[in-house]
Amino acid sequence: MTNAQPTPITTPPKGKPKLGGMARKEERSFYLFILPWIIGFLLFDAGAIIASFGISFTNWSALSAPAYVGTLNYSRLIADSVFYKAMGNSLYYGLGSVGLGTIVSFLLALLLNQNVWGMSLFRTIFYLPSVVSGIAVAILWIMILHQDFGLINSFLAWFGIKGPGWLVQPQWAMPSLILMSLWSAGGSMVIYLAGLQSVPTHLYEAAEIDGADTFQKFWTVTVPMMSPVILYNLIVGFIASIQGFVTVYVMTNGGPANATLVYGLYIYRTAFINFQMGYASALAWVLLVVIILITVVQFIVARYWVYYEGDLKS
Amino acid sequence: MGKHEEELARELQRRGMSRRDVLRIGLRMGLGAASMGLLLAACGQTASEPAKDAATDGEAAAEPASESIFDITAGDTGAWPKSAIAEPGDKIEISVGHTWDAVFFERQLQFDKLFMQRHPNITVKAENTPWGEYRQKYTAAAAGNAMPDILYTQFSWAQETIRSGLYIALDDYIAKEKDFNLGDFTKPSLVSYQYDGKLWGIPYDEGPGNLYYNKDLFDAAGEAYPDDSWDLEKLKAVAIKMTKGEGPDKIFGLGELPSPGDSLMAPNYLFPFGAQYLSEPKEDECLINKPEAVTAMEWWEELRAKGAVPSPADLQNVAWPAFQFGKIAMTLQGSWATPPIQAGSKFKWDIAKWPKGPKVHATFSAGSAYMITRDSKNVDAAWLYLNEYISTAGQTYMWASTGRGSPSRLSAWPAYLGSKFAPAGAKNVEEAMSQGIGTHDILDQPTGPRVTQAAGPIWDLVVAGQKSVKDALDEIFAAVDPIIAENRM
Repeated sequence: MTNAQPTPITTPPKGKPKLGGMARKEERSFYLFILPWIIGFLLFDAGAIIASFGISFTNWSALSAPAYVGTLNYSRLIADSVFYKAMGNSLYYGLGSVGLGTIVSFLLALLLNQNVWGMSLFRTIFYLPSVVSGIAVAILWIMILHQDFGLINSFLAWFGIKGPGWLVQPQWAMPSLILMSLWSAGGSMVIYLAGLQSVPTHLYEAAEIDGADTFQKFWTVTVPMMSPVILYNLIVGFIASIQGFVTVYVMTNGGPANATLVYGLYIYRTAFINFQMGYASALAWVLLVVIILITVVQFIVARYWVYYEGDLKS
Repeated sequence: MGKHEEELARELQRRGMSRRDVLRIGLRMGLGAASMGLLLAACGQTASEPAKDAATDGEAAAEPASESIFDITAGDTGAWPKSAIAEPGDKIEISVGHTWDAVFFERQLQFDKLFMQRHPNITVKAENTPWGEYRQKYTAAAAGNAMPDILYTQFSWAQETIRSGLYIALDDYIAKEKDFNLGDFTKPSLVSYQYDGKLWGIPYDEGPGNLYYNKDLFDAAGEAYPDDSWDLEKLKAVAIKMTKGEGPDKIFGLGELPSPGDSLMAPNYLFPFGAQYLSEPKEDECLINKPEAVTAMEWWEELRAKGAVPSPADLQNVAWPAFQFGKIAMTLQGSWATPPIQAGSKFKWDIAKWPKGPKVHATFSAGSAYMITRDSKNVDAAWLYLNEYISTAGQTYMWASTGRGSPSRLSAWPAYLGSKFAPAGAKNVEEAMSQGIGTHDILDQPTGPRVTQAAGPIWDLVVAGQKSVKDALDEIFAAVDPIIAENRM
């Protein structure tokens, strides 16, 4: 059995290669497809993003004129224990939900990639939860996690286990939200499924000829070929998770004891409950920097485990 | 949507419930996600419809969206004040920002219709915004210099918005009106709207915290109803005695316990024991970890240990106020809780005074006001409206005759006490104010929200049984003291 990763054989040409007719057409199509988003971004988001950077250097309640305070809002972060709590909670939630979600959605995709009767129905069923609105999902999970009448504790009770107050006990609240995040695993599952279906079958055939068993085919063919998809889901999932807000706001509103006070909720409270727009803007920009740093780290680490078919390595 | 969901959606619409309320009620009823989504959608429509109608057409705003439970002429005494301010010569429009529930907004539209009949050159555009979105909406409007002419303001954010220059002082207008008697207003009602020696808003209500009790549960337990002889020891003993059962059928003696995460906590739970939360009225010293405060909070926590109050899990699935669902024998609520209790309860209930403590007899008193904004283009017309709206006749029409209660003018109380919509024990609400039991010594400085946000999560650990009262109060002191330092400047 040989590793599926090919040995690089050429050195990439320096400078940007000239595009052929087909490639130019494809490039035009790319820009046309992303144009609606760019227009929407410029019209509705860009101004606010730029303004928030300026606001982050002011003391502004939105009710009276802003006062320039220099970097005071940023230095204030250092002494703000709730900032660390919220950042820690968001990282905890991000790592937990993305880690667990990656495993579960990948395994689901593997199962749903089998050639059995009724597979379209199964795929629909597993994808369906991810299109239900966030509020409805929150409602459902409040019921599932209820201490006295919830599905989970009722199930545990069959085995004589008294389940905890999932959403009302500080130590269980965040694990509950992480567990709940699996509900939307269908979204990344579909991406994994598409990736699995694009793995060339000849690689499996070659592995079989080499005597590979099922696990070896999975580990040496499927995983390397799927690694770009896994990276994509990790990056997009982590960015989304660390900005999580709706379900936390509806289900726990950051409680109990700030155990689920995620960063997005802290920004919201600072801006729209305490009306400290300057400090909230500073918090938001720090979040952006943290997200960029984490994403850069993910890309750096990706060099060691992500395989791009046809990629030319020096 | 099924027949039952449709019926429920109509009922929630009628009650003007928020999405959060719907969520809790739906959970309690065990509705599925699909049904819940439809209900939430229906509720979302109802919340915005009146505001949309009102915002698009001033004339349309005067027509109730549906039939009101109140007769349009009932409560109209005709004794409207004669203003010293001249009527506008040309047709003008004024806008008013409200945050009423759907039922009461219909009454608002009735008032506006009658006002426009009395003032044909003034068109009133009423904007109704759900409570949860109100402050954000009008903060954004303030930032864009686009506030309505008149704006509802609650005590908790009044000082902050006054000091930010959002409103105009009303003293000059009041001085011109011969029959405007500030002495007619209950003393606590004015506190939150005065600043720098001026009055920046006219309160429409100021209500005390009252002891609501479930008469059916008292009858079943063979207990006498609460009365003026009760003290807090009696309240505690009865609450423990009436607590019984398990699981969904459990009856709780008392609805809630004090939390430093609540800006209204001190008068009812600390003052009776000679303790305080923050020094009032400046709120520049934290007194929550003084020995008398620790003793008081430990005294209340004994009720939690006895299981006499609902746990956070018990309250997870119920809409405010939980009392309306019939499992709580007694609860402390402001008089503004009366409409949802009237609409939602299927049992007999009444109101008593909050019992006296070993040292002081006190309950919180809080309310709201209307202000003329700095963005008003028609200040004189706005005053004409406000002067009538908060007059004795206006308060009688809006808050007294409808049983909503706690008018800020003493002269409007008789109409409230005589209203067929008021609870039988309404006199206790009036007496709590007139006998000086109700106190406005609540957290109403601009630091208030940050104080409660800092204190609440620490207290959660006491509720979860993971921290002692003493340790929690020491921690709260350490967290709150730097926040209120700005009140010492």
